[in-house]
Amino acid sequence: MAHRGGERDFQTSARRMGTSLLFQLSVHERELDLVFLDHSYAKPWSAHPDASSARPTRMLFVTPRRQHESTIESDVPIDVETVTSTPVPLYDNQKARSVMNECERHVIFARTDADAPPPPEDWEDHVNRTGWTMAQNKLFNKILKALQSDRLARLANEGACNEPVLRRVAVDKCARRVRQALASVSWDTKLIQWLHTTLVETLSLPMLAAYLDALQTLKGKIPTLIDRMLVSSHTKTGAAGAEALSLLLKRPWDPAVGVLSHNKPSKLPGSPLILIASSGPSSSVFPTSRRHRFWQSQLSCLGKVIPVSTHLLNNGSGVGVLQCLEHMIGAVRSKVLEIHSHFPHKPIVLIGWNTGALVACHVSVMEYVTAVVCLGFPLLTVDGPRGDVDDPLLDMKTPVLFVIGQNSLQCHPEAMEDFREKIRAENSLVVVGGADDNLRISKAKKKSEGLTQSMVDRCIQDEIVDFLTGVLTRAEGHMGSEPRDQDAEKKKKPRDAARRDLAFEVPERGSRPASPAAKLPASPSGSEDLSSVSSSPTSSPKTKVTTVTSAQKSSQIGSSQLLKRHVQRTEAVLTHKQAQAQFAAFLKQNMLVRKAVPPGSSSCLFVPISSEQTEEVEKEDLRVQLKRHHPSSPLPGSKASKRPKIKVSLISHGDAAGGACAPSQGGAPEVSGGKPVTMTLGQASGAKELTGLLTTAKSSASSEGGLSASPASSAVSSSTAPSAVHTLQSRLVAASPGNSLPGATSASSLLQGLSFSLQDISSKSSGLPASPSPGPAPQATSMKLPTPMQSLGAITTGTSTIVRTIPVATTLSSLGATPGGKPTAIHQLLTNGGLAKLASSLPGLAQISNQASGLKVPTTITLTLRGQPSRITTLSPVGSGAALSEEPAPQALPSSSQRLPPAP
Amino acid sequence: MATEEAGDSKGESALSSSANRSNQVPEKPNYALRFTLLGHTEAVSSVKFSPDGEWLASSAADKLIKIWSVRDGKYEKTLCGHSLEISDVAWSSDSSRLVSASDDKTLKIWEVRSGKCLKTLKGHSNYVFCCNFNPLSNLIVSGSFDESVKIWEVETGKCLKTLSAHSDPVSAVHFNCSGSLIVSGSYDGLCRIWDAASGQCLKTLVDDDNPPVSFVQFSPNGKYILTATLDSTLKLWDYSRGRCLKTYTGHKNEKYCIFANFSVTGGKWIVSGSEDNMVYIWNLQTKEIVQKLQGHTDVVISATCHPTENIIASAALENDKTIKLWMSDH
Repeated sequence: MAHRGGERDFQTSARRMGTSLLFQLSVHERELDLVFLDHSYAKPWSAHPDASSARPTRMLFVTPRRQHESTIESDVPIDVETVTSTPVPLYDNQKARSVMNECERHVIFARTDADAPPPPEDWEDHVNRTGWTMAQNKLFNKILKALQSDRLARLANEGACNEPVLRRVAVDKCARRVRQALASVSWDTKLIQWLHTTLVETLSLPMLAAYLDALQTLKGKIPTLIDRMLVSSHTKTGAAGAEALSLLLKRPWDPAVGVLSHNKPSKLPGSPLILIASSGPSSSVFPTSRRHRFWQSQLSCLGKVIPVSTHLLNNGSGVGVLQCLEHMIGAVRSKVLEIHSHFPHKPIVLIGWNTGALVACHVSVMEYVTAVVCLGFPLLTVDGPRGDVDDPLLDMKTPVLFVIGQNSLQCHPEAMEDFREKIRAENSLVVVGGADDNLRISKAKKKSEGLTQSMVDRCIQDEIVDFLTGVLTRAEGHMGSEPRDQDAEKKKKPRDAARRDLAFEVPERGSRPASPAAKLPASPSGSEDLSSVSSSPTSSPKTKVTTVTSAQKSSQIGSSQLLKRHVQRTEAVLTHKQAQAQFAAFLKQNMLVRKAVPPGSSSCLFVPISSEQTEEVEKEDLRVQLKRHHPSSPLPGSKASKRPKIKVSLISHGDAAGGACAPSQGGAPEVSGGKPVTMTLGQASGAKELTGLLTTAKSSASSEGGLSASPASSAVSSSTAPSAVHTLQSRLVAASPGNSLPGATSASSLLQGLSFSLQDISSKSSGLPASPSPGPAPQATSMKLPTPMQSLGAITTGTSTIVRTIPVATTLSSLGATPGGKPTAIHQLLTNGGLAKLASSLPGLAQISNQASGLKVPTTITLTLRGQPSRITTLSPVGSGAALSEEPAPQALPSSSQRLPPAP
Repeated sequence: MATEEAGDSKGESALSSSANRSNQVPEKPNYALRFTLLGHTEAVSSVKFSPDGEWLASSAADKLIKIWSVRDGKYEKTLCGHSLEISDVAWSSDSSRLVSASDDKTLKIWEVRSGKCLKTLKGHSNYVFCCNFNPLSNLIVSGSFDESVKIWEVETGKCLKTLSAHSDPVSAVHFNCSGSLIVSGSYDGLCRIWDAASGQCLKTLVDDDNPPVSFVQFSPNGKYILTATLDSTLKLWDYSRGRCLKTYTGHKNEKYCIFANFSVTGGKWIVSGSEDNMVYIWNLQTKEIVQKLQGHTDVVISATCHPTENIIASAALENDKTIKLWMSDH
């Protein structure tokens, strides 16, 4: 309250206090800050007694929990008069208001005939609707309704202290509704152009301004579609008007524009290189999400930013989740090494979002970097929070900053505190109030606290700067002795590690270039390689993977090898751990038995669900997946395309889940209908051979042009769309296995053929040896098409059992094989417990990661969505259901491994 | 004359207590009749002071709105235009406009200075019973016997939102001081709080025994809600917690939708009409009846408080048809 003295004072005081302006402004424990000013010796209340390395948590915009008086005494005077003073907006109100009213001021530019008198107030009654088609009437009414609601919000919010933010929220809402309306007519060019012209001609000025505001907002999200809509008006209007309009629509206004531009963040000391670890394989064609791009540019204010994108080998074909993951880590790692060799004295900061954060952490364990920043840390996994004794993350020595959302699904502030206690590395935690996994705050939060995302982002950035400045200045101070320290640390590390897991750490640190074969026996449990062998009885996948590995080895400094071994090592432990959850009573026995059992049976011990009846199907599925993942290849597009897919399949689960998992596509919900189709499109354009064949799908997809704007080069999951749609359906079908079995089999055999073909295609390009299972490659190419078609057909017809069961197989294999699913899977794998835990979920993964991942993905997708352990149980069956196996949820993962042995 | 006497006698005590006036709340008001305004030919339904304190507007069953000068009680003008009885009237914040709710299913926006009807708001399908401007006076909220609440744009007279608010006639609607919330009360026994911007229901206040809600209003700071129910009870709610904090009883209110009010110019009182022809004044904190104003000869349907001075206006039904202005020293 003491800081209420105007913005200027605020700013100077903030500067003086050496912390970020917005941090000062944010709802932060100000009282405590004041305590610290006077009593600098005082321990922060949130200091960890056990963990000196964990710095006290910083809360950004976390509303302090107010203590409610439990009882209200009747004699407490009730004040009915005094109005609680409203908080001063954190942004430059005047400026915000001026940008807010931009559209209103320039509304006249939109008028085609500027000289005509403005439509009267009762313009609505004057709209001549004769000759309008039903569709036109419908569309017009929808837009009108949206604009009317917006008008109400504008009027109601007028004069409010945080009006700009409220307006922003309202405009976003209106834009969403307009987009929904337009999507409902599939962005039919003729119709939307007619609509635009009509609206511009008939709307009253205030309504037109609201409409322009909505357009402006949408233009930022789906520029091509909006451009298409505006084309006609441009031709009619004078060029000047059109230009002015396009200028106006250039980008949506932001209430916080003033305060942010006035307080530019300063560069970090020591001119560090900022490496951004991607959270999934990327491609140049499919850009990363807007948010990540925005952050990339934000971070470039701090230092040189080097995004590390991972392009898949072989155009992604034939690459499993694990490989992909290895590849990602390998890429980051080799980049770090490269930078080290080029700029030996430049500090390196690794930054990653979600999965990327984990990748960054893991790389920091392997290579020396100055600091790691984790944005949205996926702490919670299927097996509970990270940070168990075997988690390699605990060995981190690099100072690390975690920035998490208060409402994150993958993380929880309290669990994070526990985790931090266990990390030995110096670490800080920033909790962003009301934010999700991607650190986006909710609408309610924006409204209630007068915030904008840009302000929150700036605060986060300031926190990052704060943290990094501390770390970097220290690093700078030690620059001279740095290398030695580093060496010392390196030397120390293996010893520390040896205490915990000798086998893994020692060889990795000490003898990286040594041949992997030599290192394998060193693994402590001894059973790991056995189990991996055992879980992949078929020789075919094994050989294949080996080749992949060797291929990678040459290109990737053998990091994949290391990773693989890493994974292998932990596999045994983790498989066991999972078992522990379910078979606590047998824990000990299992451990004992495990050592004695022959390799082939080891995994069975822990997962005693070998469903005889489904085995046959599984075998088929396996084969299918084995093939199918080849078409699945290109992870690149996968991210963009995959998220919407999830959204589609789970659209009924509400905003929270949807918002959390569809960060890449802003206003995804309303167009979700169109999205799966688009993915098909992506696939079509990617797998060029198939393009012609898929024209039907393509033409239907072309209506949602915004997505076509990002041409999916990747052969994205031929069947992503159907599979998404069918996730639920297949679950239903799976409930009656008797029915579905024959269908699935036939479908899978069909798919088998298809995938053969694609495999063939991909193997040609990749130079990978084709998988040993012989497939009719040539004609299969043509067969590939039917798959998506069939499943699409199943959507519509879906009456006969056989038809309905096809999706089961499709879903299975496609979900598994879809590249679209891969990032999620990767992500989830990481979520499951880091690389170390990969193995547990995919026992056979070292050898047959492809298959395993294929099976796993459905499960993981669902899990990612729900994120919360409590819900996993209910959800996992989706995955397992799709896999036609009826294990209880927690066993979904083991079961997928269980399915491996019977493979051909 | 009583006023004169009271003024003298209280003069000393006022002096003596002037030093600690700020923290000492006067125990009792001493409202006394100052003016009786005659003019309406039917039952008066509502009286409201203009926010600038200059005028008093009254609506009546004679389909007319009359404007009176507060200072001298002089009749100023009549606004006519409605074709049926008027149930409610409300001022815009700048005191330049009025909105009236009528049984002819319309609302009318009036320019007071010219006495002209600016807009007629059509849309309700039954009697419009209550209405109010928002603080910025760019929106009007109305409640009707058609059980809906409508939000209107003042500028265009268009209905922007219809809230299917209740399952019985809506008896009262009111904006909070910031204009972000609307409260509505209905004969169905519910009090609902709405987000004015989106029209979403944020909260519903409901009593154990569901008596019809005859009046509802936000406190001046918007933190509390005063409700009147047809079991002769007024209640003060902390709506954010959904708790009833105070209950005011002693008057009679079982049939009519009688207005109640916060009086904050002197002591903190609750003022309400009553069906026993009196105006009741309670101490807001102690819930005691601190004064009853006698004088009307029929049900006091409306009692309202001046925004800045210790003046109460009250109006009564058809056996009386008068408006009375009462004044107090504190």
